[in-house]
Amino acid sequence: MLKIRAPKDFYAGLVFVGIGLLGAVLALQYPLGSALRMGPGYLPTILSCVVVLLGLTILLRAFVIDGEPASRVVWRPLVFVTASIVLFGVTITHVGLVISIILTAVVGGFAARDMSRIELIVLALGLAAFSAVVFVYLLGQPFDLWPT
Amino acid sequence: MTAIFDHLSLGFGAALSLANLGFCLIGVLLGTLIGVLPGIGPTATIAMLLPLTFGMSPLAALIMLAGIYYGSQFGGSTTAILVNLPGESGSVVTCIDGHQMARQGRAGAALSIAAIGSFIAGTAGTIVIAIFGPVLAAFSQKFNSPEYFSLMVLGLVSAVVLAHGSLLKAVTMIFVGLLLGMVGTDMTTSTQRYTFGIPELSDGLGFVPVALGLFGLSEIIVNLERPETRSLLSGKITGLWITWQELKASIPAVLRGTGLGCGFGILPGGGPTLSAFASYTLEKKLAADPSRFGKGAIEGVAGPESANNAAAQTSFIPLLTLGIPSNAVMALMMGAMMIQGVAPGAQVMNQRPELFWGLIASMWIGNAMLLVINLPLVGLWASLLKTPYRMMFPCILAFSCIGIYSLNTSPFEVVVTAFFGVVGYVFAKLDCEPAPLLLGFVLGPLMETSLRRALLISRGDPMVFLERPISAVLLGLAALLLLIVIVPAARRGRETAFQE
Repeated sequence: MLKIRAPKDFYAGLVFVGIGLLGAVLALQYPLGSALRMGPGYLPTILSCVVVLLGLTILLRAFVIDGEPASRVVWRPLVFVTASIVLFGVTITHVGLVISIILTAVVGGFAARDMSRIELIVLALGLAAFSAVVFVYLLGQPFDLWPT
Repeated sequence: MTAIFDHLSLGFGAALSLANLGFCLIGVLLGTLIGVLPGIGPTATIAMLLPLTFGMSPLAALIMLAGIYYGSQFGGSTTAILVNLPGESGSVVTCIDGHQMARQGRAGAALSIAAIGSFIAGTAGTIVIAIFGPVLAAFSQKFNSPEYFSLMVLGLVSAVVLAHGSLLKAVTMIFVGLLLGMVGTDMTTSTQRYTFGIPELSDGLGFVPVALGLFGLSEIIVNLERPETRSLLSGKITGLWITWQELKASIPAVLRGTGLGCGFGILPGGGPTLSAFASYTLEKKLAADPSRFGKGAIEGVAGPESANNAAAQTSFIPLLTLGIPSNAVMALMMGAMMIQGVAPGAQVMNQRPELFWGLIASMWIGNAMLLVINLPLVGLWASLLKTPYRMMFPCILAFSCIGIYSLNTSPFEVVVTAFFGVVGYVFAKLDCEPAPLLLGFVLGPLMETSLRRALLISRGDPMVFLERPISAVLLGLAALLLLIVIVPAARRGRETAFQE
């Protein structure tokens, strides 16, 4: 039975092979052309294939050489940080800067375990006020402050 | 020779206007601030502030952003010495001896020599750009599509060779980056590639969202995974004086570090971090008693701190003369220039001399400012270090959102940033450095254009890259570099150099 000796490399290889395959499959839709007149699919196809090959090499090598164990994913920061940014993108055109910033700061704040509720509320309100004054009034960035 | 003085006086004339001095000051102060604070680097900061430079003059924008970059190298040393944490990746090695010095009550001396060394290195870096910039720019006038393609190949190869960690992963990351660069409308046939029918993607992925996601967001997520451990050195920093003996030991180290930094800074993928490592290794090798290193040897602070500052400076050379960014921060500077309608490359020096020389002059002025303001402000910076990370990161998140959105008033780009935050996190978990990916991403479209053009000129004959002498030499250098890394002996050398 083959044993994975470098789990981190194994997963990295897997990710690369996945990216390469996706790239190659999508590139099939574009005309390939020739070296003289390269079609839009020419380089993407070559690049995708190289990524697959390199990914396979990394993946197979993980059975041969020893490497680090895979590190555990801590979900809390990943989920809340990502959610806070997406939330800003989704809400900004509808509710204006002040509410969007408060939402982003509060949701993002949940990513930290050691944050107290009062701290978070004060921080979010402070950030919203600061952003409104500095970015909109002083620097004239194109934001609506409130829902329109 | 007199031409240099004419150029420099033109530059100082432009940089010394009140507004530009002000932006220079803001830049270096902001740079020091984020350099001091661990968990936020110059790449993320410049990405966040890029949209704000819309309203500024091109020179003011570049002066401020450049100030953030070299200011952060300067600030990083303060954290390294006082807290034993690298405030900036260029200061990783400064922790080793700098913090030991601080424990022995010599924090003041360590901070001073870091500041003085940085200033000397910054001055030398400015002179190197002033001398070599025009030479390289004149040389690049001979370049055509094949030469540019070969140059970019050389750049990517040396970025791989100089990257940390696994070579194979770095190469793969470059190709992934090149592939990402293909997203958008194909320039010759206007076919939509990898756009998934999303209209916002037809102009390609935005550079700033990708960079901010990969470097800024993923770093925040990784930082939040582990509990905060920060032990600020208690007790006051007493006296910034350096003894005569310390100074005598430091000066050669400063000069060697400056030389190394100037050299490595120009290389793509080189930059401050690598230069600092190289300088530390060199000082340890040259020392009469290497066992002092790790126990508070002042050379171990003086050398690397000079090297990283010199490199931060000279890494502007490829961008300003060839239009090719050598690291992630330079890629952002390229973005800033394009926002301002300035095409990076040799033509900047000819068509907008006040821009080129003004930026260079401002670097020297900025370094002088850092020396004068920062040593007295050390206490302030140290107290800022007490800010807990849980209060810092929501601010970074909010400002990132504002920055990205106001770049193109595009909510879509905010979501793209979040996506690349996750991508960056996955790569960080798998020990894949994001810097080669970003370089590939920036250079991808440029390489495709020059490759297609070159092959069109030669009627599809790939020999065109070897028949033209400059292009052949560049490709030869790239091949040589690759060979050196693949040969096992040199490879071991590279690994030990990074371990130290």
